[in-house]
Amino acid sequence: MLVERDDLNLMLAEVGRFARERVAVATARPEAPLDGAAFELLSREAAELGILSTSAGEGGFGIWERIDQAESMAFNLGALRQLGRANAGVAFAWHRIALARSVAEQLALALDAPSVLGTTFVSTGHYGLARTSAARWLKGSVLDDDEVTLLADWLDRKSHATTVVAPRAWQALLWPVWSDGRIAWQLAHRDELEVQPCRAQHGLDELSAFLVRDVSSATGITLLDEGACRLTFGRALKMDMMGLLAIAAGALDRGQELAAGFSAIRRQGGKLIGAHAAVQQMLGEIEVARQGAEVALASLARPIDEIDAGSVAAMRIGTHALLCDAANQVMQVHGGIGYMREAGPEKLVRDQNMLKLQAGGTREAQAFLAGWIGDFA
Amino acid sequence: MSVPTHLGGHLPAEHRLSPQRQYRELPMIGRALSDYPVKDLWETDFARLPAPLARQRRRARAFAERFIAPVADELDLAAHLPPGQCHPIAMDVLREAGRQGWLSYFLPRPLGSMPWRTLPYPPIWQCSLIVEEFSRACGGLMLLLSAHHLGAMPLLLAGNVGQMLRHLVPVYRSCERGEPHLVAFAITEPGAGSDAEDGHGAALYSPGVVARPTSGGWLLNGRKCYISGGDLAKSATVFAALQGEGMESWTCFYVDCTAPGFKVARNELKMGMRASGAAELEFTDLFVPHNRIVGGLRRGWAINRATLNASRIPVAAMAVGFARAATEAALEFARRYTLGGKALIHYQDVQLHLATMVAETRAMRSLVWQEARSAWQPRQLNASLCKFHATDRAQRVCEMAMDLLADHGGLHEQRVEKIFRDVRLTRIFEGTNQINRLSMMEDWQVQLLDADQPMGV
Repeated sequence: MLVERDDLNLMLAEVGRFARERVAVATARPEAPLDGAAFELLSREAAELGILSTSAGEGGFGIWERIDQAESMAFNLGALRQLGRANAGVAFAWHRIALARSVAEQLALALDAPSVLGTTFVSTGHYGLARTSAARWLKGSVLDDDEVTLLADWLDRKSHATTVVAPRAWQALLWPVWSDGRIAWQLAHRDELEVQPCRAQHGLDELSAFLVRDVSSATGITLLDEGACRLTFGRALKMDMMGLLAIAAGALDRGQELAAGFSAIRRQGGKLIGAHAAVQQMLGEIEVARQGAEVALASLARPIDEIDAGSVAAMRIGTHALLCDAANQVMQVHGGIGYMREAGPEKLVRDQNMLKLQAGGTREAQAFLAGWIGDFA
Repeated sequence: MSVPTHLGGHLPAEHRLSPQRQYRELPMIGRALSDYPVKDLWETDFARLPAPLARQRRRARAFAERFIAPVADELDLAAHLPPGQCHPIAMDVLREAGRQGWLSYFLPRPLGSMPWRTLPYPPIWQCSLIVEEFSRACGGLMLLLSAHHLGAMPLLLAGNVGQMLRHLVPVYRSCERGEPHLVAFAITEPGAGSDAEDGHGAALYSPGVVARPTSGGWLLNGRKCYISGGDLAKSATVFAALQGEGMESWTCFYVDCTAPGFKVARNELKMGMRASGAAELEFTDLFVPHNRIVGGLRRGWAINRATLNASRIPVAAMAVGFARAATEAALEFARRYTLGGKALIHYQDVQLHLATMVAETRAMRSLVWQEARSAWQPRQLNASLCKFHATDRAQRVCEMAMDLLADHGGLHEQRVEKIFRDVRLTRIFEGTNQINRLSMMEDWQVQLLDADQPMGV
C-alpha cells in the first residue's frame, strides 16, 4: 500500500500525538528512566497503533515497513523525529526493532509478533565502519587480501565482542556477519549468544548496553547472492544512519524548546537572558543545527535505493557534530540547572553523544566516505 | 607476545633513516644540540618546574593513583545520597587526604601543610598541579577535595591574622588529624547564577540572601544553591547583602553549618562529578557574630571576585586533568583494541587523531602553567581567559576520545564517558564560559577605551 502525500501529514500527526501523550508523558522525568515493564507496555501500544509493525507483508505503515517510496521514507524519518523529540532512548529502541523487522522481511526470515518486539538490530561490525573496506565492498570494488581480512575481522562475532544498546529484555539479535566472502546476516537468539551486561552507559538511559559475542556454531545465517547481499547491507546501513539522524534531530527539537522556554523566563543582569547577545548567539547556533538537520532529512525522503550511501555518511558526520554542539548550547543556556538531571538538557547532551557513537560512530565515517568516492586499491 | 618494532607507517627507531638513531652519531656539539632523551611526556614537564613544586606534583599523582582512582567508578555509580550523608568510601578518601595534607596546603607548616620550600611560588601554581592530578583520577573526588579550598579562600584573601588563627588554622588541624572539616563557598542564589559573578549583572540584581543586624551580630535569611561540598561542609563562607542595601553591600560571613537556622535543603542529582555534592542551603535567622565577618562589611563583592580570580586558573587545571585522562584512555584503547588483526594505533588516521589530542592537552597545560607561575595577584583577564579556553578545549578532547572509541565510547567501562560528564561542569561553574569571556573584557576595558594606549595581545 502506498502512502499518499495528503495522508502523510495526518499519519505524522497521529504519531506526534502518541509521542506527546504517551511517550513524553511516560518519560517526563529525565532523572527517572522508564523501567522494562513500562517500556514493553509502550511498545505494545505502538504496535497496536501500527507505528511498529509486528507482522510480515500486510502492507501497513509501521516505521521502516515501506522504504521504496518518497512519502513512506518521509513518514519513517518524520515518525522517528517525533519519537526522538519525546524520548531518544525509546525512539532508538523502536528504530532498531523496526529495522530488524524490515531486514528480516527482506531476507524472508519469519518473525512472529512477539519476537518482532524482542528482536534488536546491529548494522555494523565490532568497531567503526571497517575503514574504507565496507564502502568499497558495497560499491562492488575488487578488494585486496588485506581488505577482505579486515572485513572478515570487522564482522567476526566470535572473536570480538560487539556493543549492543537495546531494551533490557531483548530476546534476539539480527546482525551482519562475514560468510563465504561476503556480508551475510545472522538472526541469533539471546541464549545462543554470550551476553555481558555493561554498567550504566553514557546515555539513552531507558536502554542497557551489552557486550555480545556469538558462541553458537554459526546457526541462523542467511546468505544471499552477491548482488542481494550488497543491496540488503547497503539498505540496512543507510536506514540505520538515517534513523539515528532523525532521532537526534527530534531530540534537538525538544532541546530547542527547552532553551527557548528557559531564556524567556530566566532573568540575569536585570533582563531576560534571551535579551543578552551571549544567549542569542547560542540560540542561533541551536537553530542552525536544527535547520541543518531539517535539510538533511528532507533530502533523504526518497526511495531507499535512490539514496547514495556516501551522502548519508557525509550528512551523518556533519549533522551529528552540529546536533551535539547544539545540545551543549542548550545546556549552556540553562547554566547550572542544565547540569542537573531533573532539568533535561544534560540528558539531551548524553543522548546526542550516544546517537553519534552508534552504527560505527562518525569518525570512521570519513574513511567510509573515502572508500565510497575514492578509486584506489 | 612480541613487541612490534615500529608503528604502522613509520620506520623503526633503530632504522638507518631514523633521526633518533642518527642524532646519537652526530659530532659532539651537534649531538649536544639535537640528541634528546625519549621520556614520558608527563615526566618531561618536570624540567619546567621548580623542585619543590615537582615534589608536590609527584606526591599528588601518587595519592590520586592510590586513593582516588580505585574508587572513582564506584562513587560515580553510587546511589544518590540525601543531604548530609557521605558515602563511606568518599569519607575514607577525605580522611586520608586530610592526613596527607591535601586539605590544608594553602598555609605553610605549622599552620597548614604547605612545604616551606614551595613558599617562593604562587600557591595557585601548586594548587593547579595538584588539581590536575586529582582530576585525572576522578572529577567528583577532585571537586570534593578542591571546593574546600575555594571555601577557605576568602579567609586567606581577606581574613585578618586573628581570623586565620581562630578559624582557618583549626580547620586545617582538624583535617590533618583525619577529621575532615570542609569549608564551602556560597555565592550562587536561585535567582542569581551569573549575577553573582558579573558586575554588570550584580548592579541590577536584588540580593536573595540578606543579613539583618541583631545584638552581637547578624541574622542571615535566604537560600544559596549549587554549592559544591555544601552538603558536608562544617563551615561556609556565605555572601549576603545587608538589609535594605544592594549587591554593593555584599559581605562575607564565615558561617558555622551546625548552628541553628542552617539547613541543607537538598542535594542535586548531577550529570557528573557525582562524588561531590551540590547543595541548596537554606538560612533561617541564622546568627553570625560580628567576629565572623570576613574582610569587613561591604567587602564581599571584592572578596568574591578575588576568590574567583584565584580559583579560575585551578579550574583550567581541572580541564587539563580531564583532557589528559581522556587522552590516556584513548591511547590505551588504541594500543589494545585490534581491527583487521592489528592494534588501532597502527592506523594513520588514529595516529593523527591521538596526536591532536595530545597537542591540545599539552597546550592547555602550558597555558595553565604560564598563568599560574606568576599568579601572585591573579589578574581577572588572565584567569578568565585561561578558564574558558582550557575548559572548552578539554571538552573537545573528551569528545575526540569518545569518537575514537566509536561504538565503545559510550560504555562506562571505557572511562571516557565519565570524563566527559565531569569535564562538562567546568564550562558552567565558576562563571559560565560566556561570563568568563565577558569578565575578561571587563577587566581589559580601561585599556581598550583609551585610544592613546598601545594595544598589545
